[in-house]
Amino acid sequence: MTSLFTDINQEIVSGIALGSIYALIALGFTLIYKATEVVNFAQGEVMMVGAYVNFFFVTQFSGMAGGLNGWVFTAALLGSIIFALLFGIILDYIINRPLKDEPVFSIIMATISLAIILRSLTAMIAGPISLVPVSPFGNNTIKAGGVVISVLDLAIIICAFILMALFFFFFNKTRWGIAMKATSADAEAAQLMGIPVKKVYRYVWMFATLVGVISGVLLAPRMALLDTTMAYLGLKAFPAAILGGFGSIPGAIIGGILMGVIETVSMGTLSFHFNWVKEINDIIVWIVLIVVLMIRPDGLFGIAKVKRV
Amino acid sequence: MKGRYDDENLKWIPILIIAVYLSPFLLKSATFSYKYYLYILNMAGIYMILTVGLDLLSGFTGLMSLGHAAFLAIGAYTSAILVDQAGLPFELSLIITPVIVGLCGLMIGFPALRIEGMYLGLTTMGFGFIVKRLIIAFRDWTGGSAGLQVSKATLFGFTISNDWNNYFMIYTFAIIAIIVARRIVKSKLGRVFMAIRDSEQAAQASGINIAKYKMLSFFISGMFAGFAGVLFAHTNHFISTDHFDILLSVYFIVMVLVGGVGSIYGAVLGTLFIVLMENMFIPLFKDTLTQYMHLEAGDFQAFIFGLIMLLFIIFQPMGLYGMWLKMRIYWKLFPFNPRKRFT
Repeated sequence: MTSLFTDINQEIVSGIALGSIYALIALGFTLIYKATEVVNFAQGEVMMVGAYVNFFFVTQFSGMAGGLNGWVFTAALLGSIIFALLFGIILDYIINRPLKDEPVFSIIMATISLAIILRSLTAMIAGPISLVPVSPFGNNTIKAGGVVISVLDLAIIICAFILMALFFFFFNKTRWGIAMKATSADAEAAQLMGIPVKKVYRYVWMFATLVGVISGVLLAPRMALLDTTMAYLGLKAFPAAILGGFGSIPGAIIGGILMGVIETVSMGTLSFHFNWVKEINDIIVWIVLIVVLMIRPDGLFGIAKVKRV
Repeated sequence: MKGRYDDENLKWIPILIIAVYLSPFLLKSATFSYKYYLYILNMAGIYMILTVGLDLLSGFTGLMSLGHAAFLAIGAYTSAILVDQAGLPFELSLIITPVIVGLCGLMIGFPALRIEGMYLGLTTMGFGFIVKRLIIAFRDWTGGSAGLQVSKATLFGFTISNDWNNYFMIYTFAIIAIIVARRIVKSKLGRVFMAIRDSEQAAQASGINIAKYKMLSFFISGMFAGFAGVLFAHTNHFISTDHFDILLSVYFIVMVLVGGVGSIYGAVLGTLFIVLMENMFIPLFKDTLTQYMHLEAGDFQAFIFGLIMLLFIIFQPMGLYGMWLKMRIYWKLFPFNPRKRFT
């Protein structure tokens, strides 16, 4: 059996790196869902827009500074963050405010249409050429215990965990976080208790776009080529978010990492040894999702809601 | 309830049906390129059958499906295999295939008993991905990703060969499908579906077996989609997995939504609107716009599509059919227009 599992450590590590990307996107879904109960299908597109904007800033600033250095990347990241906050406010005005009292059905379709608009608009503005983003960490790798990991992947993993810890703390300990939880439980009651609900919604959308843009910035160099197909990763992050249970921050991270590991292992070792896995390895996440949902309809960490007439 | 505000005006139905059958003759006398327009109308007719079924599921029972392209695919491939490889007559395939697709609907309806809302949307979406991959995996029968040639339809001895004949076949079946759907909605079954949509708990408390009717809704919707799939395969003559993309499922939901959720005529109107807009009006715009801007072929189309969808959802959640109803009431009450009625 040694031959079956020679590379499994390496695969699990790359799976965790891939899963952290899913986790970052899933975190964006979770934040919005937690406070507004809106499911944002456009999170992958927000990520893509973030990657494009960051690329734009990097090229602009490196032209000004006369070359690539640490300051250029820092400045570009700051520019992208400012853009993300503004973008979040715009999305709140377009999607969230007009549709607050509509059924789930319409809201999902509205975010899907937003996704289509963002993707086509980006393709129209940027043109049909794929861009080649530059990684701020170069191509450096770290070797530890027979496992190789690139610095970029390490940064993604660390970033995912830091953001998770930050938001977990924020939602459970701070005034604004608790206000957001109250808003998600019952917006009207929250308003009567003196919580500025509109402001809460705006902040949540700003946070979510911020997470999306940061994940886009981190992910772009990992893709080697940047084009609009990047947005489809958002579609793959959905099973991750649901596996963990929508609305649970640790759930998003754990679900994301689990999905990443399942995907890499099934594409690597399992496909190599079992022929039938090869046929289904790109839909394995969906199969896992359906099986899990049949056993636990609210995901691994979700809490079932009590339904009233 | 028959009355002033009843949404059904039966005296127009026969006139509309005659208009449907006369329009190809009008088109032929009006333009040279009538064959192209007929092709587009045929596509709209096939999609109409499917969206009417989707409306029964999503609009009336309140179960969201983002995987209806998969049902269409199963129908198309099943019929192609039954007719071309098993040698069944086309008429028999028209009966057997919808039943098989309906059973597939039951299969996805089973997890739907516990899953709801957006979780269900994503499960059906996953179902779409899985079906697409399985079609490629069973390449001995389906031809894999290379696609499959399908024979022409033969209905009671007549070979239906070109778009002209297809039009009459497709629209005959579409009219039947719409009438059947209307009858379902007006019957006890339709009221059960609506009760489940409005409140599952209240419906259960009134003695409705929710599991049974939810499964039944999936079965019926699958049958409509399977029917559309048979027609799709035998009028297109070539099917491949590219025809049944996840985006097509989204388009179907959009058709229902633009037409107006929870009305059969709405689904029909929405399908016509979206298909015609995508294939006729946007290309018109595009030619004038490309002179000023650098545009990719698909991008602009997608952009306008998304924009119309978003505007509809935000400003006109009732859809096209709701707009029509509002207009009708407005004119009927013309001098006395209570504004509040229309908000």
